[in-house]
Parts: sequence; structure tokens; C-alpha cells
Amino acid sequence: MYEFINLTVRDAMTSAPMTTTADTPLREVERIFDEHDFNGIPVLNDEGELIGVVTKFDLLKAFTLTSKTIIPHYDEIMNHPVKAVMLQEPATVTPDLPLSRVLQRLVEMRIKSFPVVEGNRLIGIISREDVLHALRRATTHPTSERRS
Amino acid sequence: MTTLLYHHPICAEHDMGAGHPECPERLEVILNTLRKPPFAALEWREAPEATREQLTRAHPAAHVERIMAAVPKTGLRALDADTALSPRSGEAALRAAGAFCAAVDAVMQGEAKNAFCAVRPPGHHAEPNQAMGFCLFNNVAVGALHALEVYGLKRVAVIDFDVHHGNGTQAIFWDRPQCLYVSTHQSPLYPGTGRRNEHGSASNIVNVPLAPYSGSTQLQEAWVTLVDPELHAFRPDMIFISAGFDAHQLDPLAELEFIDEDYAWLTREILDVAAHCCEGRVVSGLEGGYSLAALTSGVAVHVQALLEA
Repeated sequence: MYEFINLTVRDAMTSAPMTTTADTPLREVERIFDEHDFNGIPVLNDEGELIGVVTKFDLLKAFTLTSKTIIPHYDEIMNHPVKAVMLQEPATVTPDLPLSRVLQRLVEMRIKSFPVVEGNRLIGIISREDVLHALRRATTHPTSERRS
Repeated sequence: MTTLLYHHPICAEHDMGAGHPECPERLEVILNTLRKPPFAALEWREAPEATREQLTRAHPAAHVERIMAAVPKTGLRALDADTALSPRSGEAALRAAGAFCAAVDAVMQGEAKNAFCAVRPPGHHAEPNQAMGFCLFNNVAVGALHALEVYGLKRVAVIDFDVHHGNGTQAIFWDRPQCLYVSTHQSPLYPGTGRRNEHGSASNIVNVPLAPYSGSTQLQEAWVTLVDPELHAFRPDMIFISAGFDAHQLDPLAELEFIDEDYAWLTREILDVAAHCCEGRVVSGLEGGYSLAALTSGVAVHVQALLEA
């Protein structure tokens, strides 16, 4: 475990993640979720700055019962833009944050991933899976095993 | 005296498209249940068409004609995202409203103690000038205004236990102090009206919004503290029920947790008020309810209670 404690976000994150824009229809986001094993996608503005995150949870939320219609309508909702459902000002992490801190935050906040930012610039995503992989890698190293 | 059951085969021919939850099968399961031996005492009657005079007590003539003119010769015509017309929808809507008027006539003339109208389309979302939420004409309001106008009643009350607020009935009753509208419904939910501070022009609207997952305890507490005193104070000469069964725990379009016994309890409570205020005169009619299983069992206990009154 000592090796894991020395890791930072930069060591485990997925770099250059797929992104979307605020005006992209939910139908396109759903297609991306269907094709890739993502839970959430960062949303960038025209300047490439992170302005939100859209997740599978947000898609589900779009179909909950509201006061607008008796029945949510699939085609109509899938034409809504990402900005209608995305989480604005998402929690982010920086690349130099210790991975142990990220693990704590993932658990405490019960979320599945953090965008990784330098200033306003998105440079990666760190997810539950990334942290689990890092844990395994760090502890299966022969030296680490002896230490633990 | 018995309980009358108003129905008409044309009400099962109003069809809003494949898979629509407000479907003809709703009536099929209800009528199949009411044909069984426990309901042998029901007297079945065919619902007549409402007249223009009856409908225009609740709706401007232009609304009635607009709906009738929009009925397609073939296929479907959408009125909004949730509401559509098929070729037999116009006649079904006329008979749904006509059922309530005929039930009023029969009960007022002493032919029965009470009546249940197994009809569709439902009505409580239909505003004076707007069809919406599966509803074309406001059947229960047409019936209530018929009772006031033709029989000279002083006060009528509509009790609406559908899970959705009856915005249409509220709108039609708002400026009519002789009409009391009482609704228990889930909030937030479609259509977004029905807040507790919506009182009507003469405090004749009583809204009881219930939070999602409310069940028997919350319902009974609300009824005893908020609804029952208002009903007794109003002393209606006739009571109408907007009987929707979508607050049932099996319904797919809402999140209240009513069980069959809640519908039996509610019906008995309403009948108690009616016995106390208006010699038991009650006209009930179908609104929503989209689980066929819940609809079957809910209507069964509701009609059983009407028969036992």
C-alpha cells in the first residue's frame, strides 16, 4: 500500500477523455454511453473550459415524473440539450492530488468520477475503476507485497 | 334501492394509440369484474350522450364544437403530448359526460341510492376551454352542474381521489360558491396545480397535496383533519366522486402507496358524509388508474362499498 499512497491523480487518470458540449442532444450522449463504458462525460464550452458533467444519472433523471406531462416522452426528452440536465460546477480534482485523497472523496461523495483540471482546462478523468486499478497495480508489485 | 352502473360499449372504442396507458382494456377489466357474482345487485344502464345544453354549463360552446370537429375520420389526431382523438372519441366523450347526467337524474328521482359511471375518456383535467391530460370534457363537473341547474340543489361537492390534481374541475368550480371541490393528490406531479393555498373565490376549493410515498396513514390523517370537517361544514345536497385509482401502490405513473383497503375506507367515509348530509346521494365516476391489476381491485372495493351503503 505504500506505493499507492505515493501515487497522484496524474498516475492513474484517463487522459484526453471524450467530451461533449452544452447544446448536444441527449440522444447523442446516450449513444456515447451505449458505445463506451463511461458513466459521465465532461461538458466543455467553446473555449474548451469545463462547464459541467453529464452522467447516466442525469439521463435517468430526465425521465422522472414531473408536472409537465403525465407521461415522459422519449423522443422529446432525447432532443433536449445537455445543458438542461447536466451538473454545473462539478467537483473536480487537480493532477497532483494524492490518489488516496481521491479514493476518500469518491466514497464520501458517492460519485463515480472526477474531471481532472489544470486551471479551467480539462486534462483527464479519474474514476472508481482507475483508482481500483491503481490499488491493484500498486499492491501486486513484488516489492509492495513484501512491504504490505 | 341498488347501485346503478353506467357504461357504454363506445367508451371502449376511444383509443389514443398503441401502448397508451389510458387504454380500452381499463374498461374491459373493470366491467369483467363487475359482471361477477358479488356485484349481481348492480343495475346496468347504458350511458346516453350528453346534450349540448348539459356540456355548455361547464364548457364554452366553442370548446365542445372544437373537440367534436377535431375527431378524425381515420387514424389519430393529437391534441397534446398525452391526449389524442380517434374516430369514436367524440361519441365516447359525449357518453362519458352523459353518464354522469343520467346518474344524477336517476339518483335524484329516487331510482337508486348511488351510481358508478364506468366510462372513458376521463374528465377532471379538462378545463373550460382546454382538453388535456387524457381528458376532453369534464364529466364530473358537467354532472354536478346538471344537478344544480335541473334539480335546484343548493350545494354540490366533488371529491377527487385520483393521484393527479383535477385542475379542470378546480377551474370550472373556482367562481361557483355552490360547488365544493376537494382533492387529495400527489405533489409534485402533473399537472402542477393543487397547492394548498389555492382556495377558490369562496374558499370552495380544498386541496390536500400528499408527498410521494404517502400511504394509508397520511391519507387518513389528511382526511380526518382537512377534508371531513370541510365536507360537513359545506353540507352538500349531492356528492360526486372523481374516482381515479392511480394513487395505488401498483400504479406506474405516480408514487403514492394507497392499497385496496384505502379505497374501501375512503368510499365508506364519503358515504358516511352523504348519509349525514344528503340522504346518501352519491354519483361516482372513473378518472385515472393505469395498473390494470390495481384498477380491478380498486374499483371492486369502491363499488362494493357503494352497494353496501
